[in-house]
Amino acid sequence: MTIRRAGQVVGPVMLGLMLLLSACGNNAESNTNSNNQAANEGKNAAGTAGSAEGTVSAAAAPVKLTWWHSMSGAGEKAINQIVSDFNASQSAIRVEAVYQGKYDESLNKLKASIGSDSGPDLIQVYEIGSKFMIDSGLITPVQQFIDADGYDVSDLEPNILRYYTIDDKLNAMPFNTSNPILYYNKDAFKAAGLDPEKPPRTFEEFAEAAAKLGKDGKAGASIAIYGWFMEQLFANQNAEYVNNGNGREAAATESLLASEAGVKTLEWWKKMVDEGVAANLGRDTDDTDSAFAAGQIAMTLNSTASLRNMVEAAGDKFEVGTGFLPKPGDAKDGGVIVGGASLYIMNNKPEEQQQAAWEFIKYVASPEVQANWSVNTGYFPINKAAYDEQVLKDNMAKYPQFQTAVDQLHASGASAATSGAVMGVFPEARQIVEGAIEAALNGQQTPEAALKDAAAQITDKIGQYNATVK
Amino acid sequence: MSELEQAIPLSRPESRTVPAVRSRRLSLHRLKLREQLLAYLFLAPSLVLFGVFLFYPLLQSVYLSLHSTDPAGRIAGFIGFDNFAALLSSGLFLKGIKVTAMFTLLTVPAGILVSLVLAVLTRHLLRGKRVFQLIFSLPVVMAVGSAAVIWKFLFHPTLGMLNYLLELAGLPPVAWLINPDTALLSVSLMTVWMNLGFNYIMLSSGLLGIPEELYESARMDGAGGSTLLRRITLPLLSPTLFFVLVVSVIGAFQTFGQINILTAGGPIDSTNVFVYSIYREAFVNFRFGMGSAQALLLFVVILLLTLIQFKWVEKKVHYQ
Repeated sequence: MTIRRAGQVVGPVMLGLMLLLSACGNNAESNTNSNNQAANEGKNAAGTAGSAEGTVSAAAAPVKLTWWHSMSGAGEKAINQIVSDFNASQSAIRVEAVYQGKYDESLNKLKASIGSDSGPDLIQVYEIGSKFMIDSGLITPVQQFIDADGYDVSDLEPNILRYYTIDDKLNAMPFNTSNPILYYNKDAFKAAGLDPEKPPRTFEEFAEAAAKLGKDGKAGASIAIYGWFMEQLFANQNAEYVNNGNGREAAATESLLASEAGVKTLEWWKKMVDEGVAANLGRDTDDTDSAFAAGQIAMTLNSTASLRNMVEAAGDKFEVGTGFLPKPGDAKDGGVIVGGASLYIMNNKPEEQQQAAWEFIKYVASPEVQANWSVNTGYFPINKAAYDEQVLKDNMAKYPQFQTAVDQLHASGASAATSGAVMGVFPEARQIVEGAIEAALNGQQTPEAALKDAAAQITDKIGQYNATVK
Repeated sequence: MSELEQAIPLSRPESRTVPAVRSRRLSLHRLKLREQLLAYLFLAPSLVLFGVFLFYPLLQSVYLSLHSTDPAGRIAGFIGFDNFAALLSSGLFLKGIKVTAMFTLLTVPAGILVSLVLAVLTRHLLRGKRVFQLIFSLPVVMAVGSAAVIWKFLFHPTLGMLNYLLELAGLPPVAWLINPDTALLSVSLMTVWMNLGFNYIMLSSGLLGIPEELYESARMDGAGGSTLLRRITLPLLSPTLFFVLVVSVIGAFQTFGQINILTAGGPIDSTNVFVYSIYREAFVNFRFGMGSAQALLLFVVILLLTLIQFKWVEKKVHYQ
C-alpha cells in the first residue's frame, strides 16, 4: 500500500523534474532559436519572391546549408541580408545563418560538435584560429574547389589572400577583413597648432603630437592594451612575430616577441605613459573609443571596422581624421596584417553539401555582395572589383576617412612579416602579450624583461601545442 | 532530524497489527526492505540528476586531468600527473589560490557586515521600512552579467561616474580596473554590492525569527542596545550567519561572471581568480587536461574549507 501511494507521489515528482530538465535544455538552445528566427524574419522580409520560388522548387528539395557566424549588430543584419538575397536568387540551395556568439564561443561550439552531425557546413573563424582549423583536420580547403572549378582568384585582394594562403593553398575564403588605423581629432589638432591634414607617421611624431595635444596634465592619446596592436606594430616594422618564416615555412617553434621591434615598440609606449602624454585606459578598445568620442583624448588606434561608429560617435562635436599606423622613424618598410575572419567548409558533410557551400562562398565573394557588405559594416571588400560598384563609391564620398584604410592595405609590402604570423596558440599568446604590456606600463618590469618572459611563455605553449598535433 | 520525526509522525511498521506472530519477524524484514526501496525510489530522481550533471562530469574530469588534449579537445595522450605537477611547480595554482583567498577576504566579511548592519537597522524601522527593504534586497534580482556591465561603466577611467564623483569632491581619479593594485579591490566592491541582496534577505528573515519577547524581557532587565545585539541578536542569528558565511565563501571561490566581464583576469593576472583561470585554460586555450586538473584541485580546496567551517565555526553556532 505504501508503495502504491509512493507511486502516486513519484509520478508527479518525476514529471516535475523532467519539466525542469527540459526547461534547462530549452534555455541552452533558446539563443540559437531566436537567431534562427531572426534569420527567418530576414528571409521573409526579402519579399515574396523567395517564398514563391520556394514553392516552385518544392519538387527538387534544395540543399540545406547551415552557416555559423559571429557577427552581431550591424554585421548580423548584413549577413541576414546576404543570406536572404542568396536564397531568393536561386532555388537549389537554402542557407541558414546562425549566430553562435563571439569567435571563441563559436569555435568552442564547433569543438563540442566534433563527431556528430550537429555542426555547420560553413563556419566563420577569426584569423588567429587559422592554424587550429588547418591542424584540426575538420575542413576541406577551399583551394580544392578553386582548382576544380577553375575559379579566378586574381580579382581578389592579393594582400588578403596572402594571409590565408598557408602551404601554398588557400584554406579558407576571406570574408570580413580589417586593419588597424590611427584615428585623430582634427579639431584638437588645429587647436594644438598641428596640421590637421598631416597625421603623425612615426612613433616619434606620434609622441610629439600627443604631448602637444595633452592639456593641463591630461593625456593627448591612448592605445588600448590589445595584443593585436602589438602584432600589427611588428609587421609595420617588417619584423616577424614567430620563427620559421612567421610560422609559414614550417610550424613555428619560438616566439620572437622580445626582438628589437618589440622592445622598441614597448619602450615607446611606456615612455608616453610615464610622461603622461598617453593614458592607459586598459585592454578594451571600447574604453579608448568612448574617451576619444568624448574628446578626452585626441589620438587612438583601432580597427577600420570601427570607422563608422567612430565617425558617428564624434558627430558634430569634431571631425575625425584617419592616418596610417605609426612606426619607428628608422624602421624598415613593412605594412599591416589582415585581421578579421574567413569562411571554412567543413569536411564531415556530404560532397553535395560542400559543393553547395562553395557555390554560396562564390556568391559572397562577388563584387556586388562585397560592396554592400563593406558599406554596411566597414570591413574591406575582398574583391577588388567591388571598388567599382556605385554603393561603395558613394560610401567613400560620405566617409572619405575610409580611403586611408584602403591605401594602407595597398601600400603594405609583401613579406612574411606582413602576411601575418601563424601559430596554434595565438589566442593564448595574445593574453600573454597583453599581460607583458601591462607589466611594463605599470612599471613592474622593464619592457625588455616583460617581453622576454612573455616570449619564453609563448615558446613553451607553442611546444606543448606542437606535441599534441602530429 | 529529530524535530522532523516529531513533526511528522510516520507510521512505523512496528506499530502495525500483524495477526500471525510467527511470521512477524519475516514480514518485519520485508517491510524494512520495502521502506528502503521506497526511500531509494524517492531519491532516484535526484540521484539521476546528480549522476548526470555532477558525478559523471566529476569522473570525466579525473580522466581528462591525467591526459593531454589536442587543440580540438580530443585526448592526445596519457601523461599521468604531469598536469598537476606543472600546476604546482609553475606557481599557477598558488597564485590562483592567493588571488582567490584575497578576493574572499575582501568580499565575504565586508558583505556580511554591511548586510547585517542594514538588516538590524531596518528591522525596527517604523516608516518606510518596505522601501528600504526593497532597495537593499534589489541586487538579488540582477544577473551578474548585467550588473557587471553597469559597473564597467561606473569604473570607466575617464568617463565613469565614480571618477566624476571623486573629481567633484576634489580628489584625484582612480584607475579602478586598470591598475593592478586596485583592480581586485574594485571587483570586490562590485561583488559586495551584488551579494548584498541575498545576504540582506537571509539575515532579515533570520532576525524575524527571533521572538520579540526576548528583547522585551531583556529590556526590562535593563539591557541596552549593544547588549541586546551582543547577547540576543547575534547568538540567535548565528545559524543564519553561519549559513550565509558558508554560502558566501563557496560563492567567492566560484566567482566568474564579474571577473570575465570587468577585467578578464587582468591586469597582470591580479584578478585571475581560480575559476576564471580554469575557464581560460579549458575554453580559451583548449587544454582540457590542465583545466580539469585545476578544477579538481579547487574541489579539494573547497571541500577542506567547508570541513573546517563545519568543524570549528559551527561550534560557535547556537541552535534554538
